[in-house]
Parts: sequence; C-alpha cells; structure tokens
Amino acid sequence: MIEVRGLSKRYGALAALVDVSLQVAAGEMLVVLGPSGAGKSTLLRCINRLVEPSGGDVRIAGEAVPGTRAGLRRLRSQVGMIFQDHNLVPRLSVLKNVLSGRLSRMPEWMSLLQLFRGEDVRIALDCLKRVELEDRAWSRADRLSGGQQQRVGIARALAQQPRAILADEPVASLDPKTARVVLGDLKRASRELGIAVLCNLHQVGYAMEFADRIIGVHAGRIVYEGGPDALDAQALARIYPGLEGMSQAETETEGISPPVSELMS
Amino acid sequence: MKGPGLTFILGRPWHTAQWLQWLAILAAAGGALAWSAQDLQLSMNELIKGLPWMADLVSRMFPPNWGFMQRLMRPIFETVQLAVWGTLFAIVLALPLCFLAARNLTPNPLVFHAIRQVFNAARGINEIIFALIFVAAVGLGPFAGVLALSVHGAGMLGKFFAEAIEEADPGPVEALRATGARPLQVIVFAVLPQALPAWIAAVLYRLEVNLRAATILGMVGAGGIGFELYSSLKLFQYEDTATCVIVILVMVMTADYVSSRLRARILTR
Repeated sequence: MIEVRGLSKRYGALAALVDVSLQVAAGEMLVVLGPSGAGKSTLLRCINRLVEPSGGDVRIAGEAVPGTRAGLRRLRSQVGMIFQDHNLVPRLSVLKNVLSGRLSRMPEWMSLLQLFRGEDVRIALDCLKRVELEDRAWSRADRLSGGQQQRVGIARALAQQPRAILADEPVASLDPKTARVVLGDLKRASRELGIAVLCNLHQVGYAMEFADRIIGVHAGRIVYEGGPDALDAQALARIYPGLEGMSQAETETEGISPPVSELMS
Repeated sequence: MKGPGLTFILGRPWHTAQWLQWLAILAAAGGALAWSAQDLQLSMNELIKGLPWMADLVSRMFPPNWGFMQRLMRPIFETVQLAVWGTLFAIVLALPLCFLAARNLTPNPLVFHAIRQVFNAARGINEIIFALIFVAAVGLGPFAGVLALSVHGAGMLGKFFAEAIEEADPGPVEALRATGARPLQVIVFAVLPQALPAWIAAVLYRLEVNLRAATILGMVGAGGIGFELYSSLKLFQYEDTATCVIVILVMVMTADYVSSRLRARILTR
C-alpha cells in the first residue's frame, strides 16, 4: 500500500534520509525504531509531502505523488496522520475535530459555512465509536485527557477513510497504560479496516508488542528490517549504537541490569 | 572563599570598559534631558505662579450645572454610536487584510511588509488628524468622526488580528494540511478557532479606545460630546464644562470596566 524507493532528504550538508526503501502492506503495522534525530519524522513527512524529499519515489496504492496541488491534496486525503502532540484544535468540539478529517471530501463552501452532510457526521461518529469516545463528541477537545486526545487524533485520521496512516511518535507523551490503549486502537483499526500503518516509536517494548514488522533507522539509513522476534541485542546495537558499550560499563561497575534487556522487556 | 558578605549581582559581571560605556550613555541621556527641559521652558516658578489661576478656574466649575445634562443626552448617545460604528467599520477594513499581514499565512513577504506598513500608517496617525481630514472631505458632523475612528482603528485591529494569527499553534495547521484540506478550510478550521478569543478581546479593547477618542472628536467638529465641552469652555460656562467632564469620566470608566471584565472572561476560556 505504501511503497518507498530510494528516498533521500538533505538539509544543506546534513543528510536526514539516505536511500530509504520500504513497503507496508494493507492491514500491516510497520514500526520504525530509532533514536531522536535519526530521521523518523522526516521519513513520514516525506511520504505525504509535508516535507519535500530530495530524491526517490513514493507510491500510495500504486499511485505516484502528483505534481499538482489538487492532486497532492487528493493523495493526502487518502493518508491519515497522527502526531506526537495529537495536534487537535483545542477550542473545537471533539466531533468537529474528527469531522475535519472529512474536509477534503466536502464541498468547500459548505465547510466554510460549517454545514456538514449527515453522511459525514455519521462517519465521524463511527470513528469516535471505534476509539470508544462517542459519548465525548460534544466536549471541547482540550477538556479531554492526553490519551483521549490522542484517540480523537486516531479518529480524525480514520474519518479520512484512509488507505494508509502515518503515526509520528503517537505515544511519546503518554503513560504506559494509556500508550497501550492508543497503540491497541491503532493496531485494531489497521487490521479491521485493512489500513497500512507506518508508526514511529522510540520504545522498543511497544514495537515488539504491537508491530507486525520493524524497521530500525540510524542516521537516516535503514540498519535493521525484520519481525519483532528477530530484534535481538545485536540489532538494537545497530539502531542505538553506544547502548551496548554503556550497558557493559554499567554491568561491570554497578552490576545492574543492562539497558538493552530493559528495553526489550 | 571569603566569609559571608554582600555581593552586588545584576547579571554577568562587567569589565571596567563596560562600566565606562554605561556611564557615558547615562551622561549623554542626562544631557539630552536637561537640554530639552530648557527648550520646553520647564519652570517650577511658572507652575507656582499659575496655581491661583487654576484654583480660580476650578472654583468656577463648582457647582456643576446638572441642568445641562438635558442638553447632553443626545451628544452622549451620539458618542456611543460613533464608537460602535467606528469599531464596526474598522473590523470590516481589517478582516480581509489581516490574513495577508500574518507571517504564517501571507502569500509572500512583500505583501506582508506592504500591508503591515499600511496598518502602521493608519495606526500611527492620530484620530484627530484623520478627523480633520475627513471633516474637510465629507463636511462637519459625526460621519467624519466615524470615518476617522474606522481608519485609525483598522490599523490597530489589523495588527492585533495578524499577530493573533501568528501566535496560533502550527501543529493543528499541519494536521489539517495533512488531511488534504484546502487552504481556506485550514484557515477556518485550524487558525480561526485559535485566533478568535484574541480577536474578540482586541475588538472590545478597540471599542473602549474608540469611546475615549469619540469624546474629543467633537472639538474638531466630528460629532460627539466633545463639541459641548469645547463650546462651554469657549463661552466661559465652566459649570457646564464641569458637567461634561464628569459625564465623560463616567462613560470612559464604565467602558474601561466592562471591556476589561469581558476581555478577562474571554481570554481565560
């Protein structure tokens, strides 16, 4: 569903992405692991062109990214996005935030007058039901807890009825219990609706729990690709170089459990 | 280490050269102030000599002529009407332009700077000067006052509106762009909800300022209670002047109180 070939992105002298290729199938959840600054966010943003890549090829459902603005908007309407800080509009109701996922399919004049088709409202409420927040539809978004806001973010992405979802560190600012609920919602939606999910994480534990497949990124390059079971200490050392040495030093001097096994637990 | 004692800390410690530079700046500022005091003929002597005259004028204002209130009712309403319509027209003028004058929405920096300069010019010229111009253009009367308040107010509101847009969190804007929403939809669904409270607060503040300005527009023949104040002074009817001043005070203080209460409520919601 998502096909990326030879993608690269340079910021001046800095190479943020180097020859990245990956594929995500419909209904599959691919997790991208990597340290901060490895290029995970840039990778996601190059796929829906929030960031213009320097080279390479991206296809969504076999379609290349069109050159026209209208074409780009049509492509974006098929790709949902979930953000670390959920990026809801704080003063709008939960329902309206979810409905904004329908904007690309609505006549412009209607949406500017705040008129919504019954069909769009039904889809939005359905998506809220999927994340079990339909009873909060009329609450203001900023009245919800962080976990609930992120689930509204998922509902907004689902309201696009997308073929693919890009999730950028969706649980980075959530506690472990809430994080599991959010990732569970995302995984279930992916399975049940056949959506290809590309999800950035920096918690190895969640990756192993929720991913169908894992890609490890370091310094803009893919350094690991495989199933969650194959992700061993050696692979982790490639994604997070220096971690291994640190763990050894700490084991020798302090005798505490090394971070690598901590990350994998 | 020295024992306990006092240490003078302003910021990072200065070198002698920095202290000397600072002293030079202080001396220059002091010199400039002394020079302008002389040019302005600031004089304690004159002030003391003038005190009896001021006392005389104030004594002639008492007691205020409450009967004059009857004549004032119409101008009081006109003043409020002036402020309201001046604010409305200012909003109408500022709204379409403010998007172009916000760094995050402007189509190009040239447009941004051009419109900011237009706002600055409108804001920089006093209402009274605009009133003089519009009196010459459309004749004596409150309409000239409304136009003066509109143009000056549009400059202020446009700048405030644009700054509120710039302060909007870019996160939701990026999120809506990522859904494939069109630019106008992104503005209406991600930018406006964030900017609206600040906009309403700015409009309330402008209404308050306009009411204050409307009380003096009459002095140049542009309507409102200022005309009565001015003519009572010219006719030496100081009891009437006192009534005008008291009425203006009450109007301005009421507007100030209501506006600041409303603004506080809106901005904390």
